[in-house]
Amino acid sequence: MVEKKKATTKKTESKKEDTKKVAPVKQEVKKQAPAAVGSTAKQEARIGVFICHCGTNIAGSMDIDAVQDASKAVPNVAFVDNYKYMCSMPGQTVIQKAIREHKLTGVVVAACTPRLHEPTFRTATKDGGLNPFRFEMANIRDQNSWVHMHDRVGSTDKAIDAIKIAVAKAALLEDLHPKSVPVEKAAMVVGAGVAGMQAALDLAAAGIKTYLIEKDMSIGGRMSQLDKTFPTLDCSQCILTPKMVDVGRSEKIDLMTWSEVHEVEGYIGNFDVTIRKKARGVMTPKEAEAKGIVGGGCNGCGDCETACPVVKPNEFEIGMKPRKAIYVNHPQVVPLIYTIDFDSCVKCGICVTACGPEKRAIDLEMKDEFIKVKVGTVILATGYDIFPIENKLEWGYKRYENVISSLEFERLICASGPTGGHLVRPSDGETPKRVAFVLCAGSRDNTGTGKPYCSRFCCMYSLKHAHQIIEKIPGCVPYIFYMDIRSFGKMYEEFYYRIQDEGAKFIRGRVANIIEDKKTKNLHVMTDDTLLDRPVDVEVDMVVLAAAIQPAADTNRTRKLFGVSCSMDGWLLEAHPKLNPCGTTTAGVFLAGVCQGPKDIPDTVASAEGAASAASIPIHMGEVELEPYFATCIEEKCAGCGMCVNLCPYSALALVEKDGRIVMNVTEAKCKGCGTCGGFCPGGAIWMNHFTTPQIVAQIDAFLLGGEQ
Amino acid sequence: MSESGANHKFAFYLGCIAPNRYPGVESASIKAMKKLGVELVPLKGASCCPAPGAFGSIDLAVFYAMAARNLVLAEQMKMDIALVCNGCYKSIWEVNHKLKHNKDLRDAVNEVLKEVDMEYKGTINVYHTAELLYNDKFIGVEKVRDSVTNPLTGARIAVHYGCHLVKPHKDREFEKEVMLNTEHPMWMEELVSALGATPVEYRNKMQCCGAGGGVRGYDIVHALDITNEKLINLKEEKVDALTDICPFCQLQFDRGQIEIQEKFGVTYNLPVLHFAELLGLAQGMSPQDLGLDLHGISCEPFLQKVL
Repeated sequence: MVEKKKATTKKTESKKEDTKKVAPVKQEVKKQAPAAVGSTAKQEARIGVFICHCGTNIAGSMDIDAVQDASKAVPNVAFVDNYKYMCSMPGQTVIQKAIREHKLTGVVVAACTPRLHEPTFRTATKDGGLNPFRFEMANIRDQNSWVHMHDRVGSTDKAIDAIKIAVAKAALLEDLHPKSVPVEKAAMVVGAGVAGMQAALDLAAAGIKTYLIEKDMSIGGRMSQLDKTFPTLDCSQCILTPKMVDVGRSEKIDLMTWSEVHEVEGYIGNFDVTIRKKARGVMTPKEAEAKGIVGGGCNGCGDCETACPVVKPNEFEIGMKPRKAIYVNHPQVVPLIYTIDFDSCVKCGICVTACGPEKRAIDLEMKDEFIKVKVGTVILATGYDIFPIENKLEWGYKRYENVISSLEFERLICASGPTGGHLVRPSDGETPKRVAFVLCAGSRDNTGTGKPYCSRFCCMYSLKHAHQIIEKIPGCVPYIFYMDIRSFGKMYEEFYYRIQDEGAKFIRGRVANIIEDKKTKNLHVMTDDTLLDRPVDVEVDMVVLAAAIQPAADTNRTRKLFGVSCSMDGWLLEAHPKLNPCGTTTAGVFLAGVCQGPKDIPDTVASAEGAASAASIPIHMGEVELEPYFATCIEEKCAGCGMCVNLCPYSALALVEKDGRIVMNVTEAKCKGCGTCGGFCPGGAIWMNHFTTPQIVAQIDAFLLGGEQ
Repeated sequence: MSESGANHKFAFYLGCIAPNRYPGVESASIKAMKKLGVELVPLKGASCCPAPGAFGSIDLAVFYAMAARNLVLAEQMKMDIALVCNGCYKSIWEVNHKLKHNKDLRDAVNEVLKEVDMEYKGTINVYHTAELLYNDKFIGVEKVRDSVTNPLTGARIAVHYGCHLVKPHKDREFEKEVMLNTEHPMWMEELVSALGATPVEYRNKMQCCGAGGGVRGYDIVHALDITNEKLINLKEEKVDALTDICPFCQLQFDRGQIEIQEKFGVTYNLPVLHFAELLGLAQGMSPQDLGLDLHGISCEPFLQKVL
C-alpha cells in the first residue's frame, strides 16, 4: 500500500515536470508546421493504457499486474486497465468508457500488432469521442510474449518498455483527417488463365471496364493444356472454351494478348499502367481497318502457317509436336489471330504472299507498342510454372526416354494432342501396359533439391490419370507410388475409392530411384513399401512424374512492378493468410489463383471470384480514403534543393515555384508516408504526419531515459 | 608457393584401411598429387576418423571428440586436411562443419579435449583428394590431363562414387556445383576421361558397395549380396576395371569378390583400383610402386591392357 502511494506521488510529479518540458517543444513545432497540420488546442496529455491478455497468448508469458503497476507510473498516463480480450466488444467498451470518464487525450493498447487490430482500436477510439489517430499500439504479443515465451521476467520488462514508448508518442499525437480520392471506374487483370478470365468476367458482369493482359498468344492458361478434370472427368477444354469465348466477346473486357505490363505508377483508385503490346507480326481485322485495309486482317485461315518453312517445337505441346514460325499453338486459341515468333522467323516473306493482297494481315516490320491505361484496381493472376523435374536426377527425367512429366501425359492422353489421344512410349511408340505414377515428384521435399510445400493437385490428377489409362488401354495397370493421398476436396475422397475399385495399385513409398533397362527401355521403380516394410522393385513400361509446381518465372518482376511481397517459397503474399487471402499489402492490388500458392481449379475459380469482388468494392464506392500519413513541406524552411524529389520511391514530390522561390510540393495521394524524404531533408523542412520528429525523438527518449524525459 | 615448390599444402589424413590394406593408395596419392602441385604432409598422431557407422551409431560424444582431436592436430599444423576415404570424409568433414556452426556442441567437445590439453578452434577446412583433383581452384581436370604420361587408352572403367562423399545432399557444400548432383554425378567420369580411359556407366551406379554403415560388420552375407548385385551390373557392361575413391568400398569390392566366390560360388575377377592408383599408373608409376600386387583380385589383365 505504501509503495503504491509513493508511485502515485511520483507520477504526479513527473507528469508536471514532463508537461513543462514538453510544452515549449510542442509550441515550437506548431510554429513550424503549416496551419493545415494538426489544429488541436494545446492541452495536457492524458493517456489511457489498456493491456490485453489475449487469452494466455500474452498473460501466459508475462506478469500483467506488474506491467499494469509500472504503466501507472509512466508520465502522462491518466488511466490503466487490463482485460482478457481487448479486441472483444466488452474490451472495446472499456476503452470507450475510459475515454469519456477520464477525459483521455490519447489511447495506448498493448496487445498484438497494428496489422491485425489497428483498425479495431481506431474505431473504438473514435467511438469514445476522440480522433481515431489519437490511438497508438504497443506490440507485446508477436514481438514479445510469442518470442520470449519462456522468459517471464524479460518479457514483462520488455512490455513495460514498449508501453513507455507508445505512451510517449501518444502524448504528442494530433488529430488527423483522412482524405478521399476518386477511384477510376476500370480494373486490370494480369494473366488470362482460368483465374484471370473468371476475375475479368465477374468484373465485367458487375459493369466494370476491365483490361485483361496476357503475355501468351491465347487466353486459357494451363487449364487449356489439360485433358480432363477431376473428380467429375469433364473435358477441360469443353468447360473452358465457353468462358474463353465469353471473354473474347465481352464488351466490357479489353483483351490484350501477346502483351505485358511494362510500368505501373500511382496508387489505389488511380493506377497509371503502361502495357507493352509485343509485336505479333499479324494484324487483327480492327488493326487492319485502322490502317485503311478494309476487310483485311487475320481471319485465322492458317494459309500462312502452311506456307512457312521454319519448323520449331510447339511449347504448348511441351515440344512433342512441331509448329511453324508463324502459328497458333493449339486449335482453340482466343483470339484466333496468328502470331510470329520473331526469334525464329527468317523474314523470307512467303507468309506475306500466302496471306494475299486482300487480307494483308502480316507486317514483318511490326514494332512493340506501348499503351497507357488508367485503372482503379488491379488483380494479379500470373499462375505457375512446372518445377524442372530433371533436377531430381534419381528419376532420370530427360535421361530415360520413357520417363515423362504429368503435363506431357495430359497432352499425350488428350484427343487434340500430338498422338491424337493415344498414350504411347516415347522410345518405341508402343502402348504401355504398366505405368508408374510417382507422386510428390519435387513436392514435400526437404532435401534441398525440391520444394518443401505440397503442390495440392498432383494426388488428384494422378488418380485421374490412373482412371484414364484403365479406361483407354484394356489391361493396363497403373501403379501409384505415394506418400499420402491428399483427396481433401468435395467428392475427392469418393473419387479415390473409385480408382481403388477400378484396379489401380497403390504403393506407399517415396520413389528412391528409377533404373532403365538398356535393352527394353523399361523402367525399374525402386522404393521402400512402407506399409509392407520391405523394398520393392516394380518393372513398368512408362513412368509419369507428378511434378511439383513453382511460381511463374517472371513472378519477381511482377512483384516489383506492383510492390507486392512474396512468401519464403516465392508465391505472392496475401494480406492475411486466413482473413484476407485475396488482398495484398498494397492497397488496390489483389491476387487470384495459383500465383498466391498451389490451388486446384475449383479453388482457383473461387479465389478469382473473391478477388473480383474485393477489387470491385473501391470502384463501386467511387472513392477511397487514404491514410493521412503524407509528408508536408514546411515552406519557410525549404531551400528547394530537390534532394527529396530524387529520393522519393513513389514519385510523389516535385519542385514548384511559389511566391517567387522554388519549394517542394507533395502530391498527397501518391505519398505513402515512408519517411525517406523526411529523414533525409538537410533543412528539417519536411513534416511527416503521424511520424513527426518530436514524436520519434520522444519515443527514443522514453526508451533510453525510461520515460523520465 | 611453399619451400617445396607446391602450390598447396595439406595435412594428409590416411585413415585406417588405406595404410593397412592398400598402402599403394598412400604412396600414389602423395606422389601423384606432388606432380600436380599439391604437397600432402603426414598428419602425425592421427587416430581412427572414427568410422561413422561403427562409432557414430553407438556413442556420438566419443565420435565427435575423436574426430575433433584429429581436426585439432591439423589446426596445430595450420593446414587444411586432405583425405582419401569417403568414410573419413563423412566423419571429419561433417564434425568440422557441425562444430563450426554449433557453439553448444563445440563447448561440449572442448570440455572433453581439455583432458588432453587440446582445444578445437575451427580454423581449417577438410577436403577429399578427389575434390582437390576436380576443383580447378586446387588442381582441376585440365591439369590432371596434362600430367598423364601413360594414357589408359582403350580401358573401359566404371566409377563407384560411394555414399558418404556426396550424400546426404543437404549436408554437403562443395564449391563445384556439379559435385552436388548427388543422385547422378558425372564428375568422376570426367576425371577418368582425363586419364585417357573410357568411363562406362552402369545400372544403379549410385548403389552402396554394401559395406558401409556397419552393414559389413553386422551381417556379412547381406553386405556381400549388395556387392554381388553391383558386380553383376558391372559385368553386364564388360568393364576392364572399377575405380573408387574410398578404401573401404575398395576392400568390399576387391576382397569381397573372394568372399563372394567362397559364399556364393560366383567368380568375377574384376580389378578394383582407387582413383589415386589409376592416376599413379597414368603418370607412369610402376604397379609395384603402387602396391597393386597386394590387391585381392589380380590387376594383371587390366595392366596388360593399359601398359
